[in-house]
Formats: sequence, C-alpha cells, structure tokens
Amino acid sequence: MTTTNESTGTVPVSARRLTRQRRVAAWKRGWAQFRTHRSGMVGLGILVFFVLVALLAPILASSQGLDVTTANGPVLGAPSGHYLLGTDENGRSVLTLLIWGSRISLFVGLLATLISMVIGTLLGLVSGYFGGWIGRITFRLTEWFLVIPFLPLAIVLASVLGRSLFNIVLVIGVTSWPGTALLIRSQTLSIKERAYVERAEAIGAGRWHQIGKHVLPNVMPMVFANTTLTVAIAILSETTLSFLGLGDPTRTSWGSMLDSAFEIGSITTGSWWYIVPPGVCVVLVVLAFTLIGQALEEVLNPRLRARS
Amino acid sequence: MSLVADPGLVSESEDVQTRTRGYASYLGLKVLGAIGSLMFMLVVNFFLFRVLPGDPARTLGRGRLTTDAQKAAFNKAYGLNQPLPEQFWTFLKNTAHGDLGISIQYRVPVSHLIWERLWPTVLLVGTSTILATVIGVYLGIRGAWKRGGRFDKISTSLSLTLYSMPEWWLGLMLIAGLGVGFWFVPGIFPTGGLHSPDVNPSSLHGILDTTWHLVLPVTTLTLAYLADYSLIMRSSLLDELGEDYLLTARAKGLRDVQVRNRHAVRNAMLPTTTIIALNIGFVVSGAITVETVFSIPGLGLLSIDALQAPDFWVLQGFFLVASAGVILANLVANLIYGWLDPRVRT
Amino acid sequence: MALGLVLGSLLPAMALGSTAQAKDKVVFHVGILGEGVDSLNPFLGFQAPSYEMWGLTYDYLVGYSMTDMSPEPDLATKWKTSADGRTWTFTVRSGVKFSDGVPLTAKDVAYTYNRVLHGTVEQSNWLSYLTGVTSVTAPDDTTVVMKLKKPIATLPLLPIPIVPEHIWKNVSEKDIKSYAAEPSGGKPVVGSGPFRLVQGTADGSTFKFEANPDYWGGAPHLDEVIFQFYKNDDAAVQALIKGEIDFVEGITALEVKSLQGQPSITAHNGNSPGFDEIAFNAGSIDVKTGKPIGNPNPAVLDPKFRHALGYALDLPTLIKKVYQGGGLPGTTIVPPNYKAYHWEPPADQKFTFDLAKAGQLLDEAGYKKGSDGLRTLPDGSPIGTLRLAARSDSPTSLHTMDYFKQWLSDLGIKSDVSTYSSSQLTGVIYKGNFDAFQWGWYVEPDPDSMLSYMTCGQRNGSSDSWYCNKAYDKLYNKQHVSTDQTQREAEIKQMQEILYRDSPYLVTAYSSIGEAVRSDRFACLVPQPNPGGVWLEQYGVYNYIHMKPVSEASNCDSATAGGELSGAVKATSSSDSSSSTGPFLIGAGVVVVLLLVAGGITMMRRRTTVGDRE
Repeated sequence: MTTTNESTGTVPVSARRLTRQRRVAAWKRGWAQFRTHRSGMVGLGILVFFVLVALLAPILASSQGLDVTTANGPVLGAPSGHYLLGTDENGRSVLTLLIWGSRISLFVGLLATLISMVIGTLLGLVSGYFGGWIGRITFRLTEWFLVIPFLPLAIVLASVLGRSLFNIVLVIGVTSWPGTALLIRSQTLSIKERAYVERAEAIGAGRWHQIGKHVLPNVMPMVFANTTLTVAIAILSETTLSFLGLGDPTRTSWGSMLDSAFEIGSITTGSWWYIVPPGVCVVLVVLAFTLIGQALEEVLNPRLRARS
Repeated sequence: MSLVADPGLVSESEDVQTRTRGYASYLGLKVLGAIGSLMFMLVVNFFLFRVLPGDPARTLGRGRLTTDAQKAAFNKAYGLNQPLPEQFWTFLKNTAHGDLGISIQYRVPVSHLIWERLWPTVLLVGTSTILATVIGVYLGIRGAWKRGGRFDKISTSLSLTLYSMPEWWLGLMLIAGLGVGFWFVPGIFPTGGLHSPDVNPSSLHGILDTTWHLVLPVTTLTLAYLADYSLIMRSSLLDELGEDYLLTARAKGLRDVQVRNRHAVRNAMLPTTTIIALNIGFVVSGAITVETVFSIPGLGLLSIDALQAPDFWVLQGFFLVASAGVILANLVANLIYGWLDPRVRT
Repeated sequence: MALGLVLGSLLPAMALGSTAQAKDKVVFHVGILGEGVDSLNPFLGFQAPSYEMWGLTYDYLVGYSMTDMSPEPDLATKWKTSADGRTWTFTVRSGVKFSDGVPLTAKDVAYTYNRVLHGTVEQSNWLSYLTGVTSVTAPDDTTVVMKLKKPIATLPLLPIPIVPEHIWKNVSEKDIKSYAAEPSGGKPVVGSGPFRLVQGTADGSTFKFEANPDYWGGAPHLDEVIFQFYKNDDAAVQALIKGEIDFVEGITALEVKSLQGQPSITAHNGNSPGFDEIAFNAGSIDVKTGKPIGNPNPAVLDPKFRHALGYALDLPTLIKKVYQGGGLPGTTIVPPNYKAYHWEPPADQKFTFDLAKAGQLLDEAGYKKGSDGLRTLPDGSPIGTLRLAARSDSPTSLHTMDYFKQWLSDLGIKSDVSTYSSSQLTGVIYKGNFDAFQWGWYVEPDPDSMLSYMTCGQRNGSSDSWYCNKAYDKLYNKQHVSTDQTQREAEIKQMQEILYRDSPYLVTAYSSIGEAVRSDRFACLVPQPNPGGVWLEQYGVYNYIHMKPVSEASNCDSATAGGELSGAVKATSSSDSSSSTGPFLIGAGVVVVLLLVAGGITMMRRRTTVGDRE
C-alpha cells in the first residue's frame, strides 16, 4: 500500500512554517472532500448527537435516576407519559439509563481506542522504522498478539483483573492494537523509502527526530481513519463483554442494560423497551463510526478515491 | 474480524531487506514463526492462570466443610504446592502429551471435555462460515461490479448495519421473531439446544432434527460473518477493477462477464480467501455468545461455565486450544497466500 | 439453497409431531436454567441438578416428608435408637432390586456408608452426615447397625445415595476421582431408584431417564423424564409455552408473573430453604495465634452496633424492588420452611424498618452524631467509611448493598460499595479486609451444619462472619448430641435468638425459585414443604413418582404421610397457550426502520460519489 495525501512527496521542505501551512491546507482539503461524502456526514451527525447526549446527560436526566434506592417507578413498567421508554426491573427509567449509558459506552470505546492507538502507533513506527533486531522483535511481538483470540483472552483477563470499567478498557485496548501496528508499520516502511527522509538522514538528523518530524505526521491521517473503525469495534466489544457478565456491575452502559434485559427474560416479560433501545443505540453509534471511518479512508487514500 | 483487516499487512512478515527466495524457505520461515507464536502462547497461558485471584481449593469449598487437610490434599492433587518453575515444566510436559489437566467441575480430563464440545461448535461455526462466504462473496461481487446500483446500495447498507450489530442481540431478536412468532408468522423454530433430547442424533431423524435446531443460530452467525466478507470482497474487487490490465482486457473487447470471471474476481478472491482462513482460526472462540443465547453445548458455553465456576483448568485448556486454532489458521492463510501470490515471497 | 434448508428442516418437525402420538409414551420434559450437572457420580458432584439425577437413580435409607422435610421411611422401614443414643438399628426393606436384577440388601447400605467413612474423595460430600460414626455393619440382609462415639442429633437423616456394592467394589480408590457413573455401551446406570439414566454425560445438556417398572414404591406414572439445560431464560420459557418442554425450573419472579396469565400453565415462586444475608466482620483473627487480622472497622465488631442496623433495613422494599417479589423478608438463619427449628422473633424483638429506633439504639451504644452529622465511635473518633462488598455476578447482591448504603447514610454513617467476583470475595473474607458483605446460604433440612458455620471452630473454615460466642458454641455442642427432640428444638431456637441479638448476619430475604409447569399435560405435583415450597429439586423425588399425566389425574396419589394434598397442582384445560410478542413487533419495526435509514444513507452516499466522480 502506498498511501499519502501529499501531492508533492518528492520536494524537500526545510522551512517549518511552510510545512505547517501545507499541512493545514491538506487538512482543509481533506475536510472539503469528507463533506462530499454524505454517508460520512450522516455518520458524523449521528455521532455528534450521541456525543451531545453523553455530554449533556446531567441536564437531560438527573443522575438520581440511576440510583436503585431512589427509583420509584413501577417494576418493569411499560412506556408511559412519565417514563417514555418504560422502567427496568428496579423501577428506574430506561431512558435515563440509556442517556447515562451513552457516556460509559462512548468513554470505553474512546479510551480503549486511545490505548490501542498509542501502543499500535508506537510499535508500528518502531518496527517499521528501525531495521535489525529492534524491528524484528517488535514485529514478532505484534504477530504474537495478533493471534491471541480476543474473547478468550478477555474472559481470562477479566477474571484475573476483576470486573471494573478500567479493566474492560484495558482488555479491549491491549487486544486490539496489533492491527493498527501492522498498518502503521507498512505506512512507515513506504515513507521511509522516500527521498526526503533519506536526505534528512544524510544531513544528520537523529532517528527520533526523523520519526517525529517526517514519519509521524505522514502516518497520522491513516491512524486517524483507523481510529474511528477501532472505536466501533471497541464499543461492540464492550457490549459483548458486558453481556457475558464481565462488565462493571456498578456502572450502567448499553451493554450492561442489554445484559440485565437478557437476564430477566425480556421476551417472556414482553419488555421490548428494555432490550430494543440499547441495541439500537449500539447499532447507530457503531454504524456512525464505521461510516465516518470509511469516508475518511476514501478521503485519505487516493487509490480508493480513484476507484469510481 | 475487522473491516480494516488487510491480508497484505498480515502476510507481509519479512523485512524489506530480504530478497527473492523459494517457496520451501518461505514455508520453513512461516512454520518457524508459528512455532514461535505457539511457545509465546504457552508462556502467556501458564502465567495468566497462575496469577488468577482466589484460591481454587477455597472456592470449591464454599457451602461445605473444608478442613485444612482437605485443602492441602486438593493442592497436592493439582500440583499447586510445587515451586513455580517446576509447575511450568510439568505444564509443558503434560501439554506436550495432550494432558490438559482434570476439570475441577466435572472431574473428567479437560482434553476429553474440549474434544467432546468441539463438534457442536465446529458444526455451528463451520456451517455459518460456509454460508456466509458463499452469500457474502456473491453480494460483494455483484455489488462491486455494478457499483452504485440499487443492488449495491441495498447490500452494502445491509452489510454495514449487520456489521454494527452485536451478534447475540441479533440472535435474541431472531428468537423473538422466528422462535416465538408474531402476527401471522408462527414460531416454528426451536429456541434452544442442539437437538431434541429424545432423538438419536446420528439417525436420519436426529440429523434433520439437529438441522432444524441449528437454523436460528446458524442464521445469526451467518448474518454476522456475511457483512465482513461481502464488504471485503467488494472493496478488493473494486481495487482490482481499477487495475490497468483490466482496462486493457476490456479494450481488447472481452465481454464484461468474461472480464469479471477471468481476471478481477480471481484476483480479488485472494485477500478474501485469506480473511476467511484467518477467521476459521477464531472458530473456537467465535460462537461464545451465540452458544449462550441458543443454549448450544459447544466450546463457547463450556468456557462460560468454566468462568462462572471458576474451573481454571478448563479455562486454560480452552484458551490454549483457541489460540492454537488461530495460529494454525494464520499459518495456513500465509501458506495459501504465498502459494497463490508469489509476490509476497519476495 | 436457503429454501431447501427450510424444507429439509420442516420434515423433523412434522416427524416429531407424529412420533409423539404414535408411541403414546408419557414423557416429562424438564427444562432447567442455570448451572448444570457436574457429575453423575454421587461421590463427586456438587451442584443442585446433580442431586436430582442421583435422587432418580438411587434410593436413600431415610427420606424426607413432603410437609416439613422431617425424616420418613424410605429404604429403611423403621429404625430405633439404643437408650444411650450410641447405637442405631435400621430395618431395610426386603424385595428391593437394583436395575440389573441384583437384590439390594443391608450389605449395600453398609458398603456405601463404609466407603464414605474410610474413603478419600467419598468423604467430601457425605462425611459430615456420618461424623462420629465408628462403624456400620449389616448383620443380616435387612438390618443395618450403626455405632457412634456420641449421640448424633441429626440422625436418622442420611441423604447418602445407596450404591450397589457389586458395581462399586470394582471402582478403586484411585479411579473414583474420575469415575463417571454414566450409562455406557447402551446400558443404564445401575441403581435402585424409580428411574434409570439411559442417556447423558456430566457436562452435557440433556439427560434421559426411563421409569423403573419394578420400583419398590410402585411404578411411576411417567415413562420417561428428560432434562434439558438452558442458558437463556427466554429460550426455556418460550419452549414451555410452545410445548417443547413441560416444566421449567429456575425462572425469575418477573417471568413467573408474566406466565401466570397463561391458561395452560401454572407458575409459582416456590420457597426454597435458603436465605440471603448482610454479613459483618465480627472479629477476624488468625486462628493459630488468636491475634486480630485484617482491618475491620471497630464499629462492626460491636454486636450492639450491628444489632441497631437491623432496624435500618426496609426488607419489604428490598423484596419488592431488588427481588421483584420473588422471596420473603428474612429473620433468622433457619428458614421458616423448617417449622420445627425456625425461631420467629416475637413482635417486641423483631426488626422493623425504623430509622429513629436504629438511631436511638446507636446513640445508646455510644455512636453519637458529631457536629458534621456523622456518627462517631464511642471514643469520639470518626467511624470513617464502612466498606460494603457485593458480588459482581449478582445484581441482587449489588442492589441490596446500594440500599444498605442509602440507609446507613440516613443514619449518619458513610459507606462505600465495591464489587468482587465470588472467588475474590472469598479471599477478602479470609483476610478479614471487609466490614460487611452480601451473600447467601442454602440450609439443609437439619439445620445443624448451618448452625455450625457460626461457631468459633469454623473461623477460617466455613464461617465467613468470623463470629465467635462461647454461649452459642455451648448450645451448639449440646444440641449436636441431643437425643431429646423437644429439648433440641428449644436449644436451636435459643441459638437463633443469640444470633439475632448479636447480629453477625442480618438476614435480608428467604429466597424462592421460579417454576412453571404445563398443567394442561401434567398434574398432581406437590410442593415441598407443602404448602409454599418447590415442585422440583426437592429433598427426595416424590413428584417424579407421583405426578400424573392429565388424562389420569382425576385423583392424585395421597402422600405417604399425612395424606393431604392441598397444594397439588391441578390439571387445567388445554387451551392454546400463546406468547405475546406483539410488543416485539414494535421492536422489530424499529430495527426495520433502522435498516431503511441505513439504506437511505448509503443510497445518498452513492448518489453523491457517483455524481462527483463521473
């Protein structure tokens, strides 16, 4: 894969300001192209909506509604004027849980992705940029982690580390980085070959300087596109882990809501308002991230752009 | 499984410096790599389970009178009183002999349990993978060939939506719909189990009954896998369609269908095949949630039961088998890729 | 392809329908939720369903009554004790045969008990029932003589399955650890019970039993019993509604409620002999040195403090909100199911939800409110924050503690809830690093073992509260060897009174198990205890023997003792059961809308990209 959005890849640039200007221009161009992707824009719209819901949760619904002890709704009550999406088995408003659950689900998705990105980018850069034994070891490590089956490891780690929000984040983050690392590695390899890095080497710039000044800025767009797709996977993973009873029982996420709904037999009790809305929210948010990610990939990858 | 999984990245395991070499040395390198991964997994496996919280002997005893002597006997029986390096050596030796320990919960050898539970899972995931491959590849080809057409729009949006869905949630919705029935649709499908308890599973009746029971879980998993394959097939075919030689072929006057069949599809199948081979590695762990929802006694359900017990030896064996499956599938995928596309060997 | 699959799979459904009628066998399909069978070997298994399997396969020397689970003749027709209480003589029924035709005699009984007494793994399950027994002999085919060091009050209850000597003598001490005791080579497991296991393996999800037509108690009215284990409540309940199974065990109270509207199904929450409690750290010590370990808050070490908190629990609210109505407010560690042993606190001693009274008791004990509104220790230093532990695998546990935290805060006591997995919590308890936790126990028909868990000797053993009280221990030892039943009952009640006052446990709820049966097909199931108890997973297997298909259920068998059958499930008309998934239509509708939205998005997307590029 040879990918870059630099139209002038062979021109050596020495002036810092020029570089920055060019990057700003590139981002602007990217945004202009992204805007033409209506699916990406719709994804962005959905995402903005859920992010707003998550941020405004304290305004939209009082956190008192999460407390089992202060809940005074009917047990598993159907939707009504007072409880728009009904109540759960403890008499809490499902809508309130849904609003506050968006915080945890998004938080887990983003933080896990951050961990995954940091590890993946670092190891990808190192294994791509450095040859020799450093490159080999980091590459082997990436390969090893790539074959660890995610769910079994998650099950084992959750029983080792206990069930907390942070552990869920850690499990997802630790298991999802190798894909990113390989992507970054292949990007780094192709950029490294390019003339301006070689020239910088000839001038005598340090290796970390080169990574920081030349390689990293060039792989960042790919990292960014990859990030949005990883968030989607992380959110799905959180849902699945919660469903398997490995989530943090003290916090409400969409996954934990689905788990409770499953446990109380929502089909038998007819409580569709408990199991359908969290599932739909998961689908919407994951879809949003996926659409954005795909649009970004197309914007950032000229080969894909040329396809149609 | 991921949308960004690109076999080109996975199989590109050599450093750029290496030069052209034959398939034999490529094969040797890959096998060595797989053995290395396996050793790594063994080490991870051993130490993960030695840092598990809680004392297995204690956990077993709640609700019972457990004397110190009984606990000591338990620890001795499971070799938990030996020093760690010695335990590791015993672990390696036993694993090499296929001895994965005795299940605390069921008191039978773990290898026996896993072997027994492997088949329902293979049946479920295998059938789903085949169906998903056939349907997914078909959707991908048709979508890519008529890019932007109505078929492409519908299949792509369906694939994307299915991709965004937790598969067990989809399974629950299918139970609510087709297992229970609504409106005029009768709930004709069984809601759980691998087959009716009172049939002989190896008789014709039993086989039909098993098929009947597997309809909903297989549909669930097929829909979940399908999205991946159709999206990948579509995008790699689109890649191929952009290649110059295809333009040449078209220019030469070949009919569209011929172009599609002879060149583009064959080349685009390459990455898709690799992804499928890789996914087969996740067969063992792939069905954990769906097996739970449909109460199918496979490996996934075994691991969930073991987690709740907790049955450390079963978990350890499960983890080992699951990762060995992935390593093996990875190796096979690499070998196929190297065979089909000599470029990666250079 | 898909069509072929559907057609192909329609066949068995039709075939099933026809075979069921053609054979005309009475088959009772039981769906069980939750944990499965861990071993069919009665010396190894551990989980409740395993006991059910053994109960069908084997017999017991002494059985349990349906009304209150008191001892009742089973294999033993009668028994007597010597004057000093140290010799028990059981008369074993004659004419009982194992399923392979070999007669069951007193020798098999003696063999089984001796195997427990002198075995290794055999002891783990059953030794506690024979502790203090020095020898078991069978002087002739119908007599078993048991000699004891001291009298044992729990006798004659002996819930140990009697295994055939001629089979088990071939199972060595080494082999028994992994001896499966499963059907092999098409041969059922050899036992003398009312059913014989013909198909099934310990970790499996289906088990098939055939009736034993020669059962000494009379042939069961069922030809086959089939167990199917489910992991998904909805799948099991829907299977019941659709008639794939006839009984479902272990559903939630909410599911029971929604099934109660079905005409052909009878559902209830059966009181099971278990309780849930909030337990305190009553004094964790190193049992060897006697020095305190862990870091309990000084407040929870004080019985007066703990007792006062008993008035801060709104148990009816807990039952309603946390248990969704499935359970009863709790009082002591011996459930009311065991009428003879249960001590019901008199009105003036019984905890009520009365925060004012709790506050007043705390004031009296020296835990006065400081200027910041928080209560202090009697020496004036702050109490700090109590650490409440809940089990992460149980929402009930967590929400109970959430409520407890709220009520503590109403009293001016700060607390924090943290969650642990069961195995982690066990570790925390043994280290003494907690103030209170929530858990539960299952209590056997003789409360002796439950009572023993609260003795000093059980600390660092089965005791999880680290409670120790010399007066209590004295009573425990006394009742344990008592030969006077009336006196023993009084002592046991006195022990409960002590526990109620010292409050190492605040019993929150007596648990219940949700069950439902197709009463248009089967009737005459009797709850144990009667009334109010459970239909299956009882002590003994009365219902499997005495329940009847509806066509024969014009009159039910009378229970061997007492004879009243007030609580038996009555047959209902076989109108169609329907499951209402109307609401799910809406759910499905939402999903469809979602798909349409996604489709729309993609269409718009293609239009733009196509428009842009071409």
